[in-house]
Amino acid sequence: MWPELAQLKADFDQALASAGTDPQRLEEVRIRFAGRKSGALRLLEEQLKRLPKEEKPTFGKELNQLKAYIEEQLAVALAQVRQARGVGEQVDVTLPGRKPALGALHPVTLVRREIEDIFLRMGYSVADGPEVEDDWHNFEALNIPPDHPARDTQDTFYLPGGLLLRTHTSPVQIRTMEAFRPPIRVIIPGRVYRRDSDLRHSPMFHQVEGLVVDEGVSFAHLKATLEAFVHRLFDPSLQVRLRPSFFPFTEPSAEVDITCVLCRGGGCGVCSGSGWVEILGAGMVDPRVFRAVGIDPVRYTGFAFGLGLDRVAMLKYRIPDLRLLFSGDERLLRQFPGGLAR
Amino acid sequence: MKVLYSWLCDHLEAPLPPAEMAERLTAAGLHVELRTPEGQDEVWEVDVTTNRPDCLSHRGLAREAAACGAGQLKGFSVRVAEQGPPVHQLALVTVEDEAGCPRYCARVIRGVQVGPSPAWLAERLAACGIRPINNVVDATNYVLLDLGHPLHAFDLARLAGSAIRVRAARPGEAITTLDGETRRLVAEDLVIADKEKPVALAGIMGGANSEITPATQDVLLESAYFDPLRVRRTRKRLGLDTEASRRFERGADRSLARVAVDAAAALILQVAGGEVASGVLDTKPHLPEPAVVPLDLRRLWAFAGCHIPEEFVQQLLAALEIPVRWEGMVGHCQVPWHRVDLQLAEDLYEEVLRHWGYDRIPSQLPPSPGAPGERRGSFPITDRARDVAQGLGLAEAITYAFVPEEVEQAFASSPLVQRGPLLRLLNPLSTRMAVMRRTLWSGLAEAAAANLRRGADRVQLFEVGRVFFAQGAQSWEEERLAALLAGEVGPWDQRRALDFYDLKGLAEALAEGLGLGELTVESLDGPFAPGLGAVWYRDGEVVGVLGQLHATIQKLFDAPKPLWALELVLDPTAAPPVPTFAELARHPAVVADLTVRHPVTLPYAQLVATLWAVAPGILERVEPLVRYRGEQVGPEEVKTTLRLTYRHPERSLTQEEVNAAHFALMDQLAAHLGVSFS
Repeated sequence: MWPELAQLKADFDQALASAGTDPQRLEEVRIRFAGRKSGALRLLEEQLKRLPKEEKPTFGKELNQLKAYIEEQLAVALAQVRQARGVGEQVDVTLPGRKPALGALHPVTLVRREIEDIFLRMGYSVADGPEVEDDWHNFEALNIPPDHPARDTQDTFYLPGGLLLRTHTSPVQIRTMEAFRPPIRVIIPGRVYRRDSDLRHSPMFHQVEGLVVDEGVSFAHLKATLEAFVHRLFDPSLQVRLRPSFFPFTEPSAEVDITCVLCRGGGCGVCSGSGWVEILGAGMVDPRVFRAVGIDPVRYTGFAFGLGLDRVAMLKYRIPDLRLLFSGDERLLRQFPGGLAR
Repeated sequence: MKVLYSWLCDHLEAPLPPAEMAERLTAAGLHVELRTPEGQDEVWEVDVTTNRPDCLSHRGLAREAAACGAGQLKGFSVRVAEQGPPVHQLALVTVEDEAGCPRYCARVIRGVQVGPSPAWLAERLAACGIRPINNVVDATNYVLLDLGHPLHAFDLARLAGSAIRVRAARPGEAITTLDGETRRLVAEDLVIADKEKPVALAGIMGGANSEITPATQDVLLESAYFDPLRVRRTRKRLGLDTEASRRFERGADRSLARVAVDAAAALILQVAGGEVASGVLDTKPHLPEPAVVPLDLRRLWAFAGCHIPEEFVQQLLAALEIPVRWEGMVGHCQVPWHRVDLQLAEDLYEEVLRHWGYDRIPSQLPPSPGAPGERRGSFPITDRARDVAQGLGLAEAITYAFVPEEVEQAFASSPLVQRGPLLRLLNPLSTRMAVMRRTLWSGLAEAAAANLRRGADRVQLFEVGRVFFAQGAQSWEEERLAALLAGEVGPWDQRRALDFYDLKGLAEALAEGLGLGELTVESLDGPFAPGLGAVWYRDGEVVGVLGQLHATIQKLFDAPKPLWALELVLDPTAAPPVPTFAELARHPAVVADLTVRHPVTLPYAQLVATLWAVAPGILERVEPLVRYRGEQVGPEEVKTTLRLTYRHPERSLTQEEVNAAHFALMDQLAAHLGVSFS
């Protein structure tokens, strides 16, 4: 290294070291060595111009290196000063961050999982079955023989080969009882299809079916189970009301109303002013169903229930129109990113 | 069904006021849905379930009301003043199809004066939704609403040979029904015919050729019992739902046929005059023994889960007109002909429980099962797929499983669609829902396009659901996970259009989250834009497809921006393996970058595979760092910069060692692939 340059470097190192983190003295060091008008580097650059041609490249190169060195050291020292005084580069904390998108589960998935959790904790298993069914599982084994008037209320989509799209999740009751012997405790969520489409009906919707078969199962057991379920799903203060009804596969049958979750029984648009909303169908398993699957109806009794998941999702999240659920509208789908707090 | 409160009261002693009676009927399962004031009276809309045809009449509902304690059912009897010659001299009834018509009763009334009904009759019919026609027809409808038994009145003079023949329709026969429609008949249809031609569709509607007209003088009154299935099949085939068919197909009361014909004859006499010929033509005057169903009180109590007093049960059965013979705790209940729904003991339990009141049965949880429940079937894998997709920022959609055929065909070149033949609905709601989907893309693409048209600048949807394939006369279903992306990606200050590697990265993350393991990828044209599609294999089988959907598909869905789609097969039988712990490295790694200049035709996978094949044992990881095409390289060339990580499991590496290995690796690569490094 050229002696002048080596000397300058040594002077700079010493001056920088003695300046420490005093900003005033650092500024003096900067002016002395790197000042634009009369800093030491500036003077050496002047000197470079006057050197003989053959010496210019080596001196110039070394001077540039020294200049880079001094600038870097000064920058480091100044950054340390700022850090020591707690002064950083000021960000605008009110700008939004680079937020990764939160995904979202469908409201029907959210209520399905909530319902599954409730029943899993009561010792039920979760089962599924095919959505394309045969007449036996969807109708006949459920005590709905061909030409039964009850078939009118479940308008069916038919497929070639005598197949159909299941009109309810009840065929999985049959499949479960064909595969397992009592005691049985199972719930069956799934998609179902009915040939019906208007403001309140979608040709595809979702149900959860429940089935319990054992010795000594009673109507009182059914009632308590439904009450426990409704209280856990919605609110322990809700009243549950069973009304006699008719389903071919349960005897006796009931339609189950709960206090309207919106108006708390006062009467509103959701409950048509009645203060009650119907959310479940239920009943004791009809012995004809047991006979169809080879379970002894004298020894065993059971109960079954079913509810519309879509309807529960609508009630729970106050979604006004069933068809919105299947529109794929992301503005709706992203409104429920975390589901409900448990 | 519409009923009049005052009409119900005709059948009851000491009826309760309307509000209370309606409340009690509703609590017992006969839901009074709507009460409308009608002068001093009320019209009720009662929802009668399909198993209770006996309640499709005022007397039937009054019987229920009595059983609910809303009054006492009055006795019912009818006396007809008969005159003139015996009926069998005036008409002839033959039943040729006894299975279709187990009982046929007929009376003849001669010399009626057809005209408008008296006001009280017309008003009652109108209040219950039946249009008054003339006094004779109105009388039959009145008895229908009163007792529940459908009747039909023929103009006797228009019946050829004064004959009634109940028979199956003959091939090619047709009948013009009272509504003016001409209907072609098939052999399964049961008709009422005269000597020559069909004059009525049995149990459904009469024919125009024998209807009562102002000129009618002599009437043949039919009160029959028809097979529910026969009525139902013809009704469904012809789409002809009538007051009569509704009752017959649910099950009429065959014992009531005779009572009803007498009641109607008496009423016609009252409102239209004439004389009733003596006697009744009745093909089955003696009914078989009614069924007996045992009701064991101890079983009832176990079934209910509570004690219900014997006296209550006894009184209820009496009110329901069910005769019982008690033998200890077991009552042998004789099922009345009007209760087609009572066949088993459980049907009787229902009677007791609904009248006792569901609200009076205690709530008691069943004993704990002891064993924990489990998730079976496809739920473990499908819910895992949902969680992974949600975790990656996608929103879950649920779309219809039936789609338009042209939409389904648009994806026909996808290997995942080609897994089986299409399953077509036989009775779709519309051509928009004609076939079962073989890919989840149809619904997702439609949803994505709609979101874009609404102005969304980014779309990130997924769906987990089933696709359907035909297989001979059977079908099979497969669980799938699909995602559809469109528009932009990146945070607010780094927004850019989506590209293939965004989609592939998402697919890789999903595959990793689902534990799909080692996959191989190939480019695929299929339904994709040229050069922008790929297919994934595992063990030689297609498990996924991904790419930018072809412009024709984008146009089909009217999507303003390109649609990027991926679809994976979910296998419920393949549980992802439980990962086991891998030893953590204890010695430092040395990282060296390597820029390889190579032809564009050399795929990255081949470059890396070759590299691994020639790599020293200390090479731990290879990742792409930069991909460059442009001025620094030839038009058919690329520069790929790789970051190589070297590590020795047992000691620290020296720089010299790594340099030697790295340079040797470069030589090998150059030798194998003819690539250069600059």
